[in-house]
Amino acid sequence: MQVLIFSWEYPPRKIGQLAEYVEVLSKKLVEKGIKTYVITYHDFLTGLVENKSGVMIVRVANPVRNHTSVLTWILTLNQEIERAAANIIHQHKEKISLINVYDWHFIPAAVTLKSAFGIPILYSVESLEDQRSMKANNPYNMAIKSIEWLGFYEADKICVKTNAMKNAIKRAYNVPSKKIEVLGSISSSDIEGLRKVFSTITRGKSKR
Amino acid sequence: MKKDLNVMMLSWEFPPRVIGGISPHVFFLSKSLAEIGVNVHVVTCDFPGVPSHEVIDNVEVHRIDSYKNPSPDFATWVYLMNMNMQKEAAAIARKAKNKIDVFHAHDWLVATAGIGLKHVFRKPLLVTMHSTEMGRRDGVHSQTEKMIHETEAWLTYEAWKVICCSDYMVSHVRWAFGLPEDKLVMIPNGVNRQVYKDTKSKDKKTIRSKFALPDEKIVLYVGRLVYEKGIHILVNAAPKILEKVNAKFIIVGSGYMKEQLSSIVKSMNLEKKILFTGFVEDDVLLELQKCADVSVVPSLFEPFGIVALEAMAAGSPVVVSDTGGLSEIVDHDSTGIKVYPNNPESLAWGVTTILLDKKYSKHIRKKANKKIREKYDWKKIAAQTKQIYLSVLGEYSKSFWA
Repeated sequence: MQVLIFSWEYPPRKIGQLAEYVEVLSKKLVEKGIKTYVITYHDFLTGLVENKSGVMIVRVANPVRNHTSVLTWILTLNQEIERAAANIIHQHKEKISLINVYDWHFIPAAVTLKSAFGIPILYSVESLEDQRSMKANNPYNMAIKSIEWLGFYEADKICVKTNAMKNAIKRAYNVPSKKIEVLGSISSSDIEGLRKVFSTITRGKSKR
Repeated sequence: MKKDLNVMMLSWEFPPRVIGGISPHVFFLSKSLAEIGVNVHVVTCDFPGVPSHEVIDNVEVHRIDSYKNPSPDFATWVYLMNMNMQKEAAAIARKAKNKIDVFHAHDWLVATAGIGLKHVFRKPLLVTMHSTEMGRRDGVHSQTEKMIHETEAWLTYEAWKVICCSDYMVSHVRWAFGLPEDKLVMIPNGVNRQVYKDTKSKDKKTIRSKFALPDEKIVLYVGRLVYEKGIHILVNAAPKILEKVNAKFIIVGSGYMKEQLSSIVKSMNLEKKILFTGFVEDDVLLELQKCADVSVVPSLFEPFGIVALEAMAAGSPVVVSDTGGLSEIVDHDSTGIKVYPNNPESLAWGVTTILLDKKYSKHIRKKANKKIREKYDWKKIAAQTKQIYLSVLGEYSKSFWA
């Protein structure tokens, strides 16, 4: 099994707790025999490819330096994430089994790759724009929510850490209950749970 | 070399969605490419009342849902639209009977979609730069303008070839983005001659009588009433022209200078000689262009100058200011008359020269018609474009992507 992980933070770039979480998680996935690539952003390690405990890390930067918001920065950065992912997909004979995207940032890249290659998506949700923005509904927040919606719509499965989050997603986006998996933090049983989710997705895909 | 050539055009406008010049350009280019055996898919934005997929003149037109996402501003809308466009385009390319060989993007409005599709399918990307943010704004000043300028630079960087519609635009684009010379190609814009054909002389007379008296020559201006189009130069030249010829000036179009111009005309006592029509219906415009004794394009700044081409195709002799793309369209004393920009005396001289000499006017119309047929014909432009596709694919076949 080969998996691409998209995350906008990964050590040494830490914004919140997601960076370290993805680092530990990807290491444990490799231990389970899953070939794991992490595609992430880093401004001054542009284009760097690193192999850390078997995890392949690819870092990209945004060629557009001037922006009007985080949104335009994210939307343009997605092209480089997409390019890095496409390079991996084209260079490997064996098909990439799935894309695991963390939060909304790189959903645009994931959905194009899905429609071009038929690669399924697992969307892992750390937080929702509704919660981050105190339910603000100006066009800027609504645009981010619409990207989250696209992610929920296109994802084959959604992963969350708590039942509270599962309920929040069900409420805000009308996502069917059985599409959402609740997995705890990164205990070994959670990793085994995640591996099982991966298998469900890829098995489901091969049936289609 | 394989026989089939499959191209996917990306454009934010396609008829009936018409915002500027890109829409008719992509329409005629796609249609003309299809006529010479190229399979063309156009992926564009949606428009109320037209289907999301249809085949027009053998061109596959796909219209994507472009207002799906709420957006805080225009530039963000463009990037979000590009997200949806490339997702849809990727699905279309994947399902298409034949694999897409080339992606062809038009302007920065489809930049990120074009760049994405290039890398996802590992096929060459071509871009036609119709305009630049630098040219539109006379430099880049605000954060949004800088962002758009950098997106344009990125697009030209990712493109295998950059097509421009005039030599003027080639040098401008080359300078604006610091591109190597061999990356740029000049393929002119075209004009559809078909629409100017087959009118009965009776119709011509009726239209003419609606706008001018039988003994008046018609001097036609078509364009926005804005400073850079130089319409005020024509108004200032009018008394000098009227000293020598009895003429009616027909000004088609609108813009922020309208009030100002009307008051100048009033103070000159020329209300009966200079007629402001505002916008007119397409068919009326066509007839006007056909019966104009002279068409004037007095622009101070002009990247291409399609109005001059249309006038020439309609069989009206042209007087243009010697600037930008107009300098290339018109050859002085042959396919038209070029006058000094921003100079009413020079413009008056050009107009009277044509109006006073029927034989000369006929000679110019003939030459202009020949040039239109030879250089600005969509068939020829499509053939040139196809040639560029093939040469790019030749280079591509030797790359490690092939």
